[in-house]
Amino acid sequence: MKFFEALVVRRRCLRGSSLKLREEMKFFKVQRGGVRRGFICTAMYDNMGGQAGAPKPPFNPQPNPFGNAFSGAGSGLIRGGLGAYGERILGSSSEYVQSNISRYFSDPQYYFQVNDQYVRNKLKVVLFPFLHRGHWTRITEPVGGRLSYKPPVYDINAPDLYIPLMAFGTYVFLTGFSLGLLGKFSPEALTVLFTKGVIVWFIQGLVLKLVLYLLGGAEAPLLDLAAYAGYAFTGMCVAVLGRIVWSYSYYFLLPWTGLCMGMFLVKTMKRVLFAEVRGNDSSRHHYLLLLMALLQFPFFFYLGRAGV
Amino acid sequence: MTREFNVPPIVFASGGNPIPNRRLPTAPFQPPPLSNPNLPFMSFDVGSTSLAAPAFRGDIDNGFEEVLPLLEELGINTRQIWRKTASILNPFRVHVNLHEDADLSGPFLFLMCFGLFQLLAGKLHFGIILGWVTIAAIFLYVVFNMLAGRNGNLDVYRCLSLIGYCMLPIVIFSALSLLLRQGAVGVFALGVVFVGWSTWVCSRLVIELASAGDQHRGLIAYACCLIYLLFSLLVIF
Repeated sequence: MKFFEALVVRRRCLRGSSLKLREEMKFFKVQRGGVRRGFICTAMYDNMGGQAGAPKPPFNPQPNPFGNAFSGAGSGLIRGGLGAYGERILGSSSEYVQSNISRYFSDPQYYFQVNDQYVRNKLKVVLFPFLHRGHWTRITEPVGGRLSYKPPVYDINAPDLYIPLMAFGTYVFLTGFSLGLLGKFSPEALTVLFTKGVIVWFIQGLVLKLVLYLLGGAEAPLLDLAAYAGYAFTGMCVAVLGRIVWSYSYYFLLPWTGLCMGMFLVKTMKRVLFAEVRGNDSSRHHYLLLLMALLQFPFFFYLGRAGV
Repeated sequence: MTREFNVPPIVFASGGNPIPNRRLPTAPFQPPPLSNPNLPFMSFDVGSTSLAAPAFRGDIDNGFEEVLPLLEELGINTRQIWRKTASILNPFRVHVNLHEDADLSGPFLFLMCFGLFQLLAGKLHFGIILGWVTIAAIFLYVVFNMLAGRNGNLDVYRCLSLIGYCMLPIVIFSALSLLLRQGAVGVFALGVVFVGWSTWVCSRLVIELASAGDQHRGLIAYACCLIYLLFSLLVIF
């Protein structure tokens, strides 16, 4: 069992600094496997002049007990980190591939640092976001002089790619199963389902990117958005499972999970936006976020209809 | 006009000159009455030291060490395949050392059998099985290596081999489902049992053969479970 302590981060930036943030994070100490003592980590937003924000770190991986301790700082981190995986995954260690990959993706290995407990808790957060009592911000930690987000193992609010991937697979299987129960199963139908799922995932990611762009040009890594978009499949799985068990439950479960997903996305996007928000038009924020939440319903409806 | 050809006289080693200018019809090869140990291809003795036999003799005695059996030449070790297969049949004891060397011939056999049983059920699924196994192997490879981090060392070949071997319960399920009525409740229950069997064996093998998988047993098992669930869909429906 390991003890981790987040460092005290007390950051007061001057107004007009490039980061434009003003935040205070309290000391956060957690003892694994024992009594959680100490202080709750909160990010308090300073509302002076509408400037609020958590620090916006560049996206960097960091040392962790999983053994992939990257050394160095800056973009060299990503390149160096991907150097090991570039060879393994892509089979090529050319500079060109590495630099291009690091520009578009940001170290996919970060999103797979999960464990059982994280998966269980995250599923609870995604499926019942109104029950999440804590805060929704991601915990940051200074690494090599810059702030970066903690990996999903330590932070329930961090996005991961394992759950979306598994939820997607489960959705494909469950929909195929329900098709089979109706007598309409064929392997080609499964392929069509797969393609539709990928398209919906992609469009959902585009919607998130659009929302971020329209609300002030906040930057979030592509894989973050892919992760947030993929969480929709967990709700979809629940709805399809309900349909298999009792067909009328679908009419209740589908709007319910759509609502939950909308709430989840609104809360996470709000935190992502707070990192970069500069303007004062919070009403515009709220309308766009509401629109994004409402858009979940057509997506879910389309995904559900694919299996009928 | 006739032409005269000068044919050199043919002399046989055994003596007895044939009539010159005349070709006697002879057998393609004619052993001399005297067994001459200096002519290697004539010797029938087991203990003879004659070597360098021409290939058309076949492997009659152990003087022909260079010509391996076909399966061995192809690298298909049938005994090892049989042992690996038998080890999968017992899900409660996982023989990790048997599966250390990956091979694709066992999986190929299983997938062919799977395709044949599906064919008996009236479904032509050979290409689909091939495609799905490939995608499943890549999927498991990506998921395992990402979860395991820097220390994960599962490679695609071994991944494919393990997935293929653990397909054996699904093949048995496909065979059994031929005997059951389509859509019977028993088919679903059987499916659950066989998919669970496949998943258990596959996840245990993957975790023990490739390093750094220990902390993520449940997560990897769920990935394997998804793969075999999709194949069982092919069998059930």
